[in-house]
Order: sequence, then structure tokens, then C-alpha cells
Amino acid sequence: MKPRANDSAFLLDPHRRGVPGLERMRRYGDDDEVDMLIVGCGAGGGVLAQRLARRGWRVVVLEEGPFWDPDRDWVSDEAGSHELYWTRKRIIGGNDPVEMGKNNSGRGVGGSMTHFAGYVPRFHPSDFETHTRDGVGADWPISYWDLKPHYEELERELPVAGQHWPWGDPHRYPHGPHPVGGAAEAAWRGARDCGIEMRMGPVAITNGQFGNRPHCIYRGFCLEGCKVNAKASPLITHVPDALEHGVEVRADSMAVRVELDESSGRVTGVTYIQEGRERFQRATAVAVAGYSIETPRLLLNSTSSRFPNGLANNNDQVGRYLMVQGATQLAGRFPQKLRMYKAPPPEISSEQFYETDESRGFARGFSIQTVSPLPIGWAEHVIAEGHWGQDLREHMRDYNHWSVLGTLCELLPLPENRVTLADELDDYGMPVARVDYTQCDNDRANIAFAKGVLREIWENAGAEEIFAIDRYAHLVGGCRMGFTPEDSVVDSDHRAWEVPNLFIPDGSVCPTQGSANPALTIMALASRLAERLDRGQIRASAPGAVLSR
Amino acid sequence: MSWDALSQASHWDEKTREVVLDRVHNVPPIRFFTPEEARTLRAFCDVVMGQEGEPRVEVLNYVDQKLFEGRLDGFQYADMPDDRDVWRLVARDLDEEAGGSYADAPPEQQRAICGLFADGRLEWELPVDKAWKVVTRAILSCFYAHPYAWNEIGFPGPAYPRGYAALGMDGREQWEPRG
Repeated sequence: MKPRANDSAFLLDPHRRGVPGLERMRRYGDDDEVDMLIVGCGAGGGVLAQRLARRGWRVVVLEEGPFWDPDRDWVSDEAGSHELYWTRKRIIGGNDPVEMGKNNSGRGVGGSMTHFAGYVPRFHPSDFETHTRDGVGADWPISYWDLKPHYEELERELPVAGQHWPWGDPHRYPHGPHPVGGAAEAAWRGARDCGIEMRMGPVAITNGQFGNRPHCIYRGFCLEGCKVNAKASPLITHVPDALEHGVEVRADSMAVRVELDESSGRVTGVTYIQEGRERFQRATAVAVAGYSIETPRLLLNSTSSRFPNGLANNNDQVGRYLMVQGATQLAGRFPQKLRMYKAPPPEISSEQFYETDESRGFARGFSIQTVSPLPIGWAEHVIAEGHWGQDLREHMRDYNHWSVLGTLCELLPLPENRVTLADELDDYGMPVARVDYTQCDNDRANIAFAKGVLREIWENAGAEEIFAIDRYAHLVGGCRMGFTPEDSVVDSDHRAWEVPNLFIPDGSVCPTQGSANPALTIMALASRLAERLDRGQIRASAPGAVLSR
Repeated sequence: MSWDALSQASHWDEKTREVVLDRVHNVPPIRFFTPEEARTLRAFCDVVMGQEGEPRVEVLNYVDQKLFEGRLDGFQYADMPDDRDVWRLVARDLDEEAGGSYADAPPEQQRAICGLFADGRLEWELPVDKAWKVVTRAILSCFYAHPYAWNEIGFPGPAYPRGYAALGMDGREQWEPRG
């Protein structure tokens, strides 16, 4: 099943993993006024670049990290994969601080999808109207049905493997499900015994040959960067086609300011640092796709007399309504050898508890997924239970008998959960981001209930011992889309209310997050934006001039 | 130990082999910590990891490398100093608890102090629960990065390009450890 307008999988080399033809990549000069300058080459920026280039736009993407070559740069080793994560300092505060780094932030061409587990569920139709339906969160200015055709197209491009999906808007996947390993078998048995339905997938991992991308080899290192090219990330799913259509991906280039022409109120390009030198790339329009921390940080750092508190921030909305999902994990110990390091960590999942059920006493819900940590990740579970010294070693020797399930609880968007700038400066001379996060009562009730369900699964499966660890996963929000400049940063077309040629095509625009992993939705949003930009459907009623190419 | 992950090194891809073998054979020197800090913290790392005999993993050397090179984890609690300062303060406070160098305290006292640290029951300037998280996160990631540790827990280590075929419960490849 070939995608309609994306040849990436066929442009890759069958015998080497790196993107071919980098030496032939089109190059623009800093003085060339490109049609769209994108900051960040992850799920949002990568897809937007590929889509616009296909339609003839001249596009440059600035990416802070390297242009990865999986053969050369990635290893089949947990500790050796540190460079995949965004590890520049962030200050974390609030009553329930969110740990960053390898948990939720990526760098380099491909973004955090290079090390995401691979789950790519769609959002449910209800996610776009939680305020109307459930009296919590926010409504989106667009609906599920606006994204549906883009979900379908992207599921062919990644491609997605999984069983028929009965939840949300029921749908099928282009690739059949992968086989499951012993750890998932144990979890599935427990779920079945307490009436919880789980399904295989949905994962962005090829099941069968797809273009020049090989079949998954079930080595279990999905979170360390896929050396096989079986797991999707924009590096292999969109960048090859983007390059073929004239995009320049300028790696190792850190954007530090989006520049504004004070008289017209339009942005003129981006100042960035490459090899220690400050440079400026001109552009007709700018799209910031740095994800939920770096996008607000870049805007907040881009001050001017028109925008003394940061670009597009005269209504104090930039950085607010940052969201993470409650991702408590419970592990069960079994007499059999489960060897959870085998097979991809993302195997089976359930969205049975996704929607609001008033009998539970809180709004919205959660999903359940297998996670399967490697030894370093698993050791964090064991020490969180209070084991150290010989006792820790003893429990670790039992590694092969454990299976781990995680929840993704929908935590609600709150204005005080936000990104601001700290006083400390980084190596680029730019203030580091401060991220404050505090749960509300609904969040705590959701997490507690979800934990109870996981415990029930393990008890029903016959687990001899159960470990629990509280944590978070994923990021969205921080520059949300909305209905008015007072309630949001961008409109339904991802355009900053206050700056007519500034767009945000990444996860920071999400007003709610559901209980779904966000990657596919971020890609679908960028895909929809590209379509609307190209069709000239973006409204010209905002202040300033009409967007022109 | 009958099974050795390193015995499989010829089945690993070249880049991974280079990284893992370098880790094993070229233990980095102490460059970040002072000799006194290193003495205290080496003893502490061994207590946290229960390392009482050979083969042992030089955990502190890998921690030192990480701090020396500034390869930190990407976040800092608002009420905590930089991770590099946390480590130095922990060394100072451990010595204070031991009434001399922590390294010279009898094993029972070392373990008792570690236990109080783990339970957050020490009165330090640093938030003790968060300091415990900072130091143990680094210790665990250095210890369980080592093939000796993989052998102990029955983890076969790198798996590219070979991959796995026997996925199910109690499934085992012919070359995999039995543990």
C-alpha cells in the first residue's frame, strides 16, 4: 500500500540506513528569502517541510541537533543513546515537577520520534470538545473530522501496524499486527480475566517490507533509535521525500530569535547559531516547530518593542496550558521467563477507559499500554520501591520474570502549568526554560483509579509481586490553538493571532491531549496546515498583510 | 558466571561493539572529583550497588566522566543546584554524617547512613529525597550499562543486527543466557 504523495521509503538505500543523497541536498543562502523557514525537524516540522516542498514551496528547516545516520551514530545500547535526547538544562518546578531529558525530549533530524516507543494511536473525537462534553479542559477550534483524512494518509506513510481499532472512531490499519512477546502475553491474560479488552498495536513499525525499509527484527531497542529503519520517525518517513523535492535541512543550527519587522509587524526570518557563529536566514514566513518547551522558549526570547514579553505574547498565553500525561507504571512478577527486552516495547494497548465515566468520580480517562524497559530503565523501578545494595542486586537478578504495564492518564490543561524563562543562560547565551507543573484534583483521581486497574490486571494474571512507579510521559500544549487572541496563541490555522506570517505546526498547539501518544496527531496537524497553506485557505483577516509566496 | 555477554561481541554491529568494548576496557580516569571526594563517593557507590567483591564495576569513574563532560540529563529541580554541585555536596554531607571520611567508616555505619539517605531521613541543606534521586539515577545508569551487570541479570546486551525470533513466554534463542 504505497502512500499517495510520499516516496520516502523508496528513496532510502536498501543496504544502508542513512538518508541517501545528502551531498545533493539543495542549499540556500542566508539572504535567499525562502517561502517557509521551519524551526525543528521533528514530527511537526518534518511533515510540514515534506508537504510544502511537494507543492513547490522553497523550504529550509533549522535543526539544533545532528543529521543522524543510524548506522554511524546509533547503538544497540541503552547508555550509549544519550545523544538522542534533548539534554540542555531545564529548570523544573511546581508541586509535581516533570522530569525531562530522555523521558520526553528529542533532538536531531527526526525529533523525539527517533526515540519514541512507537505507539501511534489517533485522538478520539471527544478530545476535540472536552469542555462541551465533560465541562473540563477546552474545545478545539477544529474537530476530529478535520484531521481524519490526514490520520489515514499518515498511517499509510509510517506505516502503522495493528489490529482493527474499536475505540474512538473505529478504523483499520494498513499493516497487520506484530507478534507479541512473553511479557505482553502475561499482561494480556490478566486483562482478559478481568474483562479488559486489549489490542495489538497501533505501532509505527513496518510489518513486512515497505519500500526499502526492512521488517522489524524484534530486538527491543525502540527507545534507543531504530538501527533497522523499521520504526518510523520523520528522518526516514518524511525527510527523504522532502530532500527529493528541494528542502534544505540545516542541521546543527540552533534558532535563538525569530526576528520581527517592527513597522509591518511581520517576521522576517530567524537568527540561529551554527558552529559558534550567529547567522540570520531570511524568509517570507516562519513556522516554529520546537515542541512544547522549545517553541514557547524561542518565542519568549524573541522580544521587540511591539512584543516586549515575547513574540505573539501580548495576551500572556505563550507557554501556558502545558500538558503531560500521568504515566504511572506497574510491574508484575511471574514464575515464567518473560524476557521483556525482546520484541518492541509497544505491543498491546487498551482504550477501554479513555472516555468519561461518571461512576469513576472524575472527568476523562486513561489508556493502558505495555512498556518493557531495558535494564537501566528497570533498575529505576526497583530502586523506586526502596531497594538498594544487595537487595537491589537480588531483585535485578529477577529481570527476566517481570512484565510492565503503563497508563497514560489524561491530565487537564491548566494555565499555571507553563513554560517561562529562567535567569540562567545556556551555552548559546539564551535563557534556559523553566517548566512548572502542578496536578489538579481531577488529575490525582484519574491517576489513582488507573493504578487500581493495573493492579487488578496483574492480580488476575497471577503476579507474585507487584511494583509501582509514578512518572509522566509526553508533552503537548504551551502555545495552544483557540477561538480568540485572549484564550490562545494561534488560530485554527496554526497562525499566531498577533503575527500574520508566523505559524506553529507542532504539539504545543494542542488544547487537550486525550490519553493518546501525541506523535501521530502532531504529524496530522502539520499535514493539515500544509494543505491549507497551499490551497490559500488561510484567512487573510488577521492584522498585517496577506501571506504571500 | 557461566554466560558472558561479551562472548557475543562478534555478533554486534561495529559501532555498538566499539562503544561497549571501550566502556569495558578503557575505564575513564577521575577528572571531575577531588581525590577525597572520589574516595568517599566510590565507597558510597559500592554501598548503593552492594558491590563487595570482584568482578566489580567502577561506577564512580563512569559517573565522573559524565559530570566531567557535562553530559547531564536535561533537567534540574528548581530547589536544587546543578547536578555537578549536588554530587559534591553529597560527598561533603556523607563525610559529615560519618564523622570523618565516609570511606573509613565501618561497613555497618556506611550502610546505615545510606539507608537514612534512601529514606530521606537526613537533615541536609539539600532536599534529601531529590539528592537521592540525582545520585542514584547516575549510579544505576552507569552500573547497568556494564556487561558484568547484564550477565548477572540475564540480559544478553546489544541485539543488532541479529534480533530475536523466540518471543513467547519461556522462549529462548539457542545462544541466549538461561538466567
